Amino acid sequence: HITEDTSDLLQHVKFQSSNFENILTWDGKLESAPDTVYSVQYKTYGEGEWLEKEGCQRITRKSCNLTVETSNLTELYYARVTAIDGAGRSATKMTNRFSPLQDTNIKPPDVTCIPKVRSIQMNVHPPYTVIRARNGHQLTLENIFQDLRYHFNLRINHTYQMHFERKQRKFEFFGLTPDTEFHGTVMICIPNLFKESAPYECQVKTLPDRTWT
Amino acid sequence: QEFQFGPCQVDGIVLQKLWQAFWAMKDIVQAQDNITSVRLLRKEVLQNVSETESCHLLHALLRFYVNTVFKNYHDKAVEFGILKSFSTLANNFFVIVSKLQASQEKMFSTRESARRRFLLFYRAFKQLDREAAVTKAFGEMDILLRWMEKFNQL
Amino acid sequence: DGVAVLPAPQNLSMQSTNMKHVLTWSPVIVPEEIIRYSVEYQGEYESLYTSHIWIPSSWCSPTQRPECDITEDITATVSYSLRVRATLGSLTSAWSTLKHRFNQNSTILTPPGMEITMDGFHLLIKLEDLGPHFEFFVFYWRREPGAKEHVKVVRPGVLPVYLETVEPGAAYCVKARTFVKAIGRHSAFSRTECVKVQGEALPL
Repeated sequence: HITEDTSDLLQHVKFQSSNFENILTWDGKLESAPDTVYSVQYKTYGEGEWLEKEGCQRITRKSCNLTVETSNLTELYYARVTAIDGAGRSATKMTNRFSPLQDTNIKPPDVTCIPKVRSIQMNVHPPYTVIRARNGHQLTLENIFQDLRYHFNLRINHTYQMHFERKQRKFEFFGLTPDTEFHGTVMICIPNLFKESAPYECQVKTLPDRTWT
Repeated sequence: QEFQFGPCQVDGIVLQKLWQAFWAMKDIVQAQDNITSVRLLRKEVLQNVSETESCHLLHALLRFYVNTVFKNYHDKAVEFGILKSFSTLANNFFVIVSKLQASQEKMFSTRESARRRFLLFYRAFKQLDREAAVTKAFGEMDILLRWMEKFNQL
Repeated sequence: DGVAVLPAPQNLSMQSTNMKHVLTWSPVIVPEEIIRYSVEYQGEYESLYTSHIWIPSSWCSPTQRPECDITEDITATVSYSLRVRATLGSLTSAWSTLKHRFNQNSTILTPPGMEITMDGFHLLIKLEDLGPHFEFFVFYWRREPGAKEHVKVVRPGVLPVYLETVEPGAAYCVKARTFVKAIGRHSAFSRTECVKVQGEALPL
């Protein structure tokens, strides 16, 4: 009995996660026939049963949103995809063990940079995630990570930089020269997980000093 | 970094180095564990551990890892070419066990409850085939590191 | 090759400064031949539990130079055994083992190099980057009786880093030292450097 190699039907089954939005993605055959369908199952590591993901059974697209099903941050998860082509050939592949807490990428913060005459204020907007508390309240990254800090950085042309690490979302750089260009960045840092977001960047100019004009 | 497991203090451990060592081999190691329906370090073992209990429990778990898990996984580490990461984790666990050894001996109050938790882990380990159990335990080190992090005095 | 037996490297020695660990030895000389060396290590765990196993060093298995930077191989604060052997074609020497085991907590920590400058009324500091192990504690104060000493943890970088907005006419002093978490030790303080801020002192 010769078992046919169907590994070409399905590759790279993995989670792509940002701020706990956990999307399962995969690749099919390069010239995959349009009639290839995919079905997704998931499970919590340590549980016996594989559960079918509603809405991702016999689909033709190559992604499936498992955010709700993998939202417990203390758990570890697996997902697997079964592909069946028009000729009835099938293949099943599983992800690596997925840890939402460890494997999610932290998105850059959303920031408003406010230039003044001798200072620049940076306001970080609340970094909401898709995770909800039991009471339905939407959680921010600050709720999830107690040790979260914001790294505020201001580079003064190419001569020096000002660097501050704060828990608060608002920070103001003082003692600046009026009417001058500055390059600001803000990053989210989670020391315990050794995670850093990509920086939010703003190029901003302090206002001219009109007090004596 | 400094860790405070109840009355037991451990310093000189840079957790990031341990994480980096584990991440370097995570997928290789966990891919060898295809028993997805069993988790050795379950919630009942590690959740809601009191401060004083944590010293005993960590000492018991790490001593088991050093004496049994690492010892029996060593040849696989050579086979998979992960000896460097293996050595980093083994030597750092060895340091922690030595540092916990003295202080946990002086404490008796919570030893029994910590032992019960360890036995939950140990019984689950014994129920599996030896090689599968060692592979699973080695692949669950991230669960252990995550738990240890909570006791990090940033 | 006219060489029956290759002599083992001699005079093994460890130099460790600011968490950079370099093993050196006397070169093995065979006229008109290139000798290569291999370095291996064992931590305390390996010595006790798998003593037959030695781990090849990251950068020197093999190398042609009679020295090896083993910094990346030392990843725990335990004592390490180190050994070296020479090879010439198919010929290999016996292993030479470092006489005393090495522990990174014996590294020599030097006071950090620092440079204090001003930009307008901003006091700036530039620190030499010593690698990921190091934190820099910078102490600064206004040079006047009873002045309060401030402490800041500073990350070294390509550019000088802002410390404080200062007042015209005043003088400020700065000193720094390093701290290494992995071994729980500080360096000695750097020399104290003081700067005078231009301009008239502000009326009280």
